[in-house]
Amino acid sequence: MNVNLTFVESPLACQDIQKHFGSIQVLNGITLTLLPGTVLGLIGRNGAGKSTLIRILLGLQQPDSGQSFVLGDRSLAMGDAVKSRLGYVPQQPDALGWMRVGDMLDFVGCLYPRWDREFVQQSLLRWQLPPSSPLSKLSPGERQRVAIIRALAVRPDLLVLDEPAAALDPVSRRDLLREIAVRAAESGTSVLFSTHIVSDLERVASHVAFLHEGKLLLHAPLDELGDTHARLTVPAEAKGTLAARVAGELSRRRRPDGSVSLVIARQSDAPWPLLAADPRIRLDHLGLEDLFIEVAG
Amino acid sequence: MDPEVLAIQPGAPEPIYRQIGEQLRRLICSGRLAPGEEIASVREVAGVHAINPMTVSRAYSQLEAEGLLERRRGKGMVVAETRRRLLSEDRRLEQLDTGLRELARHAHELGLPGRLVLERLQRLLENEDERESDLR
Repeated sequence: MNVNLTFVESPLACQDIQKHFGSIQVLNGITLTLLPGTVLGLIGRNGAGKSTLIRILLGLQQPDSGQSFVLGDRSLAMGDAVKSRLGYVPQQPDALGWMRVGDMLDFVGCLYPRWDREFVQQSLLRWQLPPSSPLSKLSPGERQRVAIIRALAVRPDLLVLDEPAAALDPVSRRDLLREIAVRAAESGTSVLFSTHIVSDLERVASHVAFLHEGKLLLHAPLDELGDTHARLTVPAEAKGTLAARVAGELSRRRRPDGSVSLVIARQSDAPWPLLAADPRIRLDHLGLEDLFIEVAG
Repeated sequence: MDPEVLAIQPGAPEPIYRQIGEQLRRLICSGRLAPGEEIASVREVAGVHAINPMTVSRAYSQLEAEGLLERRRGKGMVVAETRRRLLSEDRRLEQLDTGLRELARHAHELGLPGRLVLERLQRLLENEDERESDLR
């Protein structure tokens, strides 16, 4: 699916984002386009820069260079119309922490034309959140559930969630995934969520992206991953055949036994590199979790 | 159809759209889903199993292309009425799917052009035919 959307047509996009903190290059030339109506799962190890990327995409942080767009507006100059179509769940929601749950949701709801009061009532009940509790008295998981209700009640066209599963118990996590799936089906909501729980991503995402060492190593439709990505294991005695860089190479790892393993990507209708035809070299199709470990391990 | 009859396993080597396809195919072939019976909507299946709706519609479209499902105006997808005619050969061909997929992948991995593989397969099929007539 190689659709070239202009930034203005895409719900969320960035080009060549660079960001460093002190001497550490956190993001090194990130270009990303979210296709309308898709659910993109962003995986990366702790500290890979997922939150920084999300904050830059949403204009909450300034990049060193590069540009980003939300629903056609520049992220750093987002208009009210665009803000009202955006739902965002930060990793650690702390806004308006001095208010009570119900008051905060009423207050925020006034700012949004499509605010879904009924959804808020039902969700507070279902997730056992007492409206009269001060936000500051809630546990991190409860706090996160309130933030999710707030983001979904907007009826957003674009929903962005930063590690939403981090503080949620399995039941609430499943509830959230279900909500994402239904929104995508009913309203064509575009979604970006970061996570390190691979099975959540496998359920609900249509696309997956790996963020590793400041770069996006992969951005592909989830269903095609098994056909388009594989690991080649090159035993020590066949290392002579190995070029400095193999076509489609995503990562290369030397193993303790002297063999080398490569992760290779190809277009879905293209052949594997010639190397794969060498009988000494093994080709394995990997599941998402193994693929991620191979690339980021 | 109750969407709960499907069992979805994320993390399995088989992608979710294929899991749905296989399971529906089995339900239809075994008659547990009768011709004309409405199957669960994309939205229902996506909601109940918390999976991406595009994954579900991809599975449905594939079954539609195979002639097992039909899109009905007003209704959603139903099990195709014509399946009895399609079934016998389709069903037998289906048994080969896994093997053929494997074969296709190996051919790909070896960088062999499809023409050569098909010629070879054709010859092997002819050998089988001959062997059978010899036996008679």
